[in-house]
Amino acid sequence: MIGIVLDGVVQGLQLALLSVGIVFVYGLGGVLNLAHGQMAVAGGLAVAILLQARWTPLLASAAGVVAAGSVALLLDRTLLRPAYTRRGEERLLLGLILTLGVSFALDGVYALWAPNIALTLRMPTLSIEVLGVRVRTASLAVGALSLVTFVVLLAFLKGTRVGQAIRCVIQNEVGAVLCGVDVERVRTLTVFLSGLLAGMAALAQGYFSFLGPEMGSEFTILAVIVAVVGGVRSLTGTFLASLLLGLVNAGLSYAVGTYLTWIALLAVAVLTLLVRPEGLLAYWP
Amino acid sequence: MNGRSRLRSVAPVLTTALLLAAVPAILGGSSYGLRIASLTVIVATYAIAFNLLFGHTRQLFLCVGALAGLGAYAFVLLSRVGGLVPVLALLIVAGGGAIFGAFLSYVSIRRGFGVLFVGVVTLAVSLMFHNLVLGLRQYTNGETGLVTRGIGFGLGEHPKEAYFVLVGVLVMALAGYQALLRSRHGLAFQALGDDEISAELSGIDVTKYKVGTAAMASGLIGLIGALYAEVNGFISPSVFVLGHVDIPVFVALLLGGMRTLLGPVVGAVLLSAVDEVVRPFGQLTVLTYGTLMVALFLLFREGVVPAAQRVLVRLGALRLRVPRRS
Repeated sequence: MIGIVLDGVVQGLQLALLSVGIVFVYGLGGVLNLAHGQMAVAGGLAVAILLQARWTPLLASAAGVVAAGSVALLLDRTLLRPAYTRRGEERLLLGLILTLGVSFALDGVYALWAPNIALTLRMPTLSIEVLGVRVRTASLAVGALSLVTFVVLLAFLKGTRVGQAIRCVIQNEVGAVLCGVDVERVRTLTVFLSGLLAGMAALAQGYFSFLGPEMGSEFTILAVIVAVVGGVRSLTGTFLASLLLGLVNAGLSYAVGTYLTWIALLAVAVLTLLVRPEGLLAYWP
Repeated sequence: MNGRSRLRSVAPVLTTALLLAAVPAILGGSSYGLRIASLTVIVATYAIAFNLLFGHTRQLFLCVGALAGLGAYAFVLLSRVGGLVPVLALLIVAGGGAIFGAFLSYVSIRRGFGVLFVGVVTLAVSLMFHNLVLGLRQYTNGETGLVTRGIGFGLGEHPKEAYFVLVGVLVMALAGYQALLRSRHGLAFQALGDDEISAELSGIDVTKYKVGTAAMASGLIGLIGALYAEVNGFISPSVFVLGHVDIPVFVALLLGGMRTLLGPVVGAVLLSAVDEVVRPFGQLTVLTYGTLMVALFLLFREGVVPAAQRVLVRLGALRLRVPRRS
């Protein structure tokens, strides 16, 4: 039982890493990035390829995270520009369709060029006893990595001027422009940041278990579910939703199997949209 | 309406019907060619339905594949396990699809979902369907799928007849669509597609039209899904996923032209030509669909039919009477 809970917490933390990017870009750019998971996979595949080329794990990991960020940056600077010039519903629609198309294009690219590359960073790590259950130190490391990243992110958003600008644009784009915030630069920075975070999520996945070229859409869906449940206005909401869904995922996977778990997670998202479209945990302090 | 203008109004649908009916003769005995032709007609019919949903009433249903799959599995199970006669099973499937689509549409309207939330909810429905089929292994045989030989009308054994049945459904859908646009409802449809709020203000019952459209389109999709199960001889969850149904249908519609009569058919034909070129390269198909979707939506949202129409009108050679956006 404690094992499942620990597993759920670690999964939740990893999920938080994955989802915060999609939430950021949606909240700030008004684009629900359906290619978010594919960016994570880009990072993971880059690490796998660099490891094959005998780079040291640390260096390869750093390069992979930057690679994921670069894909995001490229998307922001090219295809998403026409979306940004529009407002309201038109932007949402254009962003949704474009990123959906990009996600399929990237899936095709990965399947074509890297069909057999998979990332596993499974090093012989110790197992230690926590609260009477054996846990791999790898899981704990993933959890710690996510937690540290989140704290840094929070400090960045609350403490720095750029962070304040980001929060400002999330709250009101027009207002931000009036206050002299360069919305376009802030947006590009945020998309890059979301790519970096997606890359880290892919690393965590590789460290935790295994990452394949076809897993992009699965990542995207998970991130979208978290975004829906947590709401797009608060980082705390995202964090809590991730933890909650991580626990639900671990618990249900154990109890009823994968398929029903997926159905349950999707149902939670749909019900959230029906009952509280702004997000179940959106107004958590 | 005098005789001449009536002839001109039925000309596009009639020409399409005759051209499609001539395909088996042109192909000779090629069973591969016939199979591709059947699949093209199926994609064209899905595209007509999706055109109604997204083109006319801006309801982004990303669950075309799931609706078709639901129809296919329901049809097979009703015929095989329930022992129903095919016609009855087909009616139940189409009716069930219509009710489900109307329900999705109604809930979305009542909750005030924009185009994005409708997309997300229907995407979730798609994935739920996929996992449901995988989970209900005892009925659906999971990922392995079901062989559908010997059920229903037996269309699987008669590819040529099956093709004509599919063309028949397509032509009926086209004729129905044209009649709808020409009727009193056509004007409401145009208004709705242009600006929903203005339409509502001018006294059009937007909810009624949107729900009605969703019901018609979903019923049609379910029906075609059931026929697909027969024609294909085999169904599995993976033939109904987003990348196999929704994305090609979307691309076909964009290619041909949204909110046009013949756009879905022209788009489906063009897409299957593209498909034939990239098919030998395996995974290139996914890449092509994705790239086409992005490129068309950004650069050529108008589609081939309106563009060709403009050129033809300019040349003064031909005036196709295709309803188009005013």
